[in-house]
Amino acid sequence: MIHRILRARGTSRSSTDEVASQAAVRLEDVTHEYGGRGRFGSSRERSVTALEEVTLTVDTGEIVGLQGPSGSGKSTILHAVSGLLVPTSGRVELLNTDLSERSDRERTRLRRTHVGIVFQRFHLLPSLSARANVALPLVQAGIPKPARRKRASELLESVGLADRTTHLPGELSGGERQRVAIARALASDPDVLVADEPTGELDTETGRSVLELLTTVGRNRAVLVASHDSETLAVTDRVVSLADGRIIDDGRSGRSNTPSS
Amino acid sequence: MAATLVTVAVTVGLLLVVTGIALALADGGAATNDDGDAHIVPDEQASLSAVDGVEGTRLGETNDRAEELRAHEGVDHASPILAEPGHLEAVGSGEPQTVLLVGVLPDEEPRTVAGLSTSSLGDTEAGSEDGQPHGEIVLSEATADRLEASEGDELSVPDPEATANVPSLSVTVTAVEEADSDGDTDAPVALVYVTDLQSFSGAENDQLADRVTVWGDEEAISAIGAETFPEATVESQRTTDPRALFDDGLALAASVLALLVGLVICSSFIATTAGMSVNDDRRSLAVLESVGIPRRGRLTVVAVSTLATTVVGAILGVALGFAGIYGLDIAASATVAPGTVAVAHPVFAPYAVGVALLAGLIAIPYPLAIAARTSALEEVNR
Repeated sequence: MIHRILRARGTSRSSTDEVASQAAVRLEDVTHEYGGRGRFGSSRERSVTALEEVTLTVDTGEIVGLQGPSGSGKSTILHAVSGLLVPTSGRVELLNTDLSERSDRERTRLRRTHVGIVFQRFHLLPSLSARANVALPLVQAGIPKPARRKRASELLESVGLADRTTHLPGELSGGERQRVAIARALASDPDVLVADEPTGELDTETGRSVLELLTTVGRNRAVLVASHDSETLAVTDRVVSLADGRIIDDGRSGRSNTPSS
Repeated sequence: MAATLVTVAVTVGLLLVVTGIALALADGGAATNDDGDAHIVPDEQASLSAVDGVEGTRLGETNDRAEELRAHEGVDHASPILAEPGHLEAVGSGEPQTVLLVGVLPDEEPRTVAGLSTSSLGDTEAGSEDGQPHGEIVLSEATADRLEASEGDELSVPDPEATANVPSLSVTVTAVEEADSDGDTDAPVALVYVTDLQSFSGAENDQLADRVTVWGDEEAISAIGAETFPEATVESQRTTDPRALFDDGLALAASVLALLVGLVICSSFIATTAGMSVNDDRRSLAVLESVGIPRRGRLTVVAVSTLATTVVGAILGVALGFAGIYGLDIAASATVAPGTVAVAHPVFAPYAVGVALLAGLIAIPYPLAIAARTSALEEVNR
């Protein structure tokens, strides 16, 4: 069933190899500071540098892990890539489009069509069924309801939840919820998938199955995974290490696929 | 959202009850429930030989002019109608009860006035020529129950302030009628001869009446009525018309005040409760943003859900309001007020929904502002 998703994108493993050298995500000298100015222009709030001159490239077909202690800037990179955040300086390119120069509306549109986000805490809407949660990104795309339901059902089937389509998130286990979240992230067939601690709320066994799913669906996309978990980072192609907002190892110079911690 | 539903429902319900009271004030209540083909009512703008107060303007010289009407072709019957609250008690009971006395001039045909048949009062000619009271009364079932009276019983009208100039009234119950099912079935009303009531209430000299009810051909009545009562208005078949609110200053003031208070309270509650609801749901808004729903789409979700909740609350409020009006009438009839103190009208439903929607539109900037301020980054990182 997973392969149906891959086929739906019109790609195969060989075609993925062809585009593997194309940079889907590129960060150039990205610096971001939180705070710095209080309301009414006062400077009472102390600024915090979350990212400092970060340069990073993620190619299509590449799964990149981001590791580092809390506050090192992992999540900020994911937010910048998904257009939820505009960095203080530097360029963030998504499929050769500079997000920094785009309006909030354009960044939202780009996120809707090109980026899928998986959160640590799933963030499913509690009042919607699993299928409705998965279909959510398709609503704004103007896809008719029957087509949305069909697509959502197929995605849920592909993540092994064919019998859970009408269940509410509260009726699902943690692993099932994260699978729904992954299906939702895939709804618009995105080119880039970002996952923030995707196994952080799951037990080891469930985490493994979610990782397996994530690596399978991510093979023909650019995937960024932020995690503290060595098992999660072990499934990535490359691990980028961060400390205090700086990249201390981009995973290219030394041995990749092995977390330092 | 449940809080919004409840507050809108309660506010709209109260608005309808107050508006129902105002409409009853303007409409006249049980006394206006008759089967006449047309009604000649005082023109509010005219200067009449009338008593003008909370009871409204009255027509003068109605007995003579009703007789003129009856003489015209196309008019089957014409009767002055006078309504006065009064105290009645069964002889020897010592427990006076408040009843709405409705004066009518009956004829040989069975007609309905104040929801009661006039046939039991007998012909108008009998007993009227010597100037003495007819002394007959027809009770509604509610009145008979209240007085514990039945056909043939004697009733007296105690009046502690009675003077020699105002004759006391003693009447015999000629019938206990089941009032027709037109919403006033529980009203304690009683039919008497209009001349008896005019005499008792001091309206005899000017032959005052609230209106003249006419049976016959409507076109003929319209022409003759306008000629005979040039200072009055001829209305066709009477129904409870909400436009009557605009003809009565007190009722209009009450309903406008209820509207303004309702709008202010309703919009304040909607703003507060919807704002709290959006605040509790910021994470959902952040999720919508993260999956690519633009700001306008997210705000539309908030606006639509707020207005939808408001409309559902208004529909509940309509049910609550109608129930309140019904309950108020029952409570009032059982205690102090004879007749209907509040009336419901089908137009109340769209009116209430419209008011609630307006309140929702006034309130909506607040929840929208909270939604617009929501930061996806803050919420998804919590």
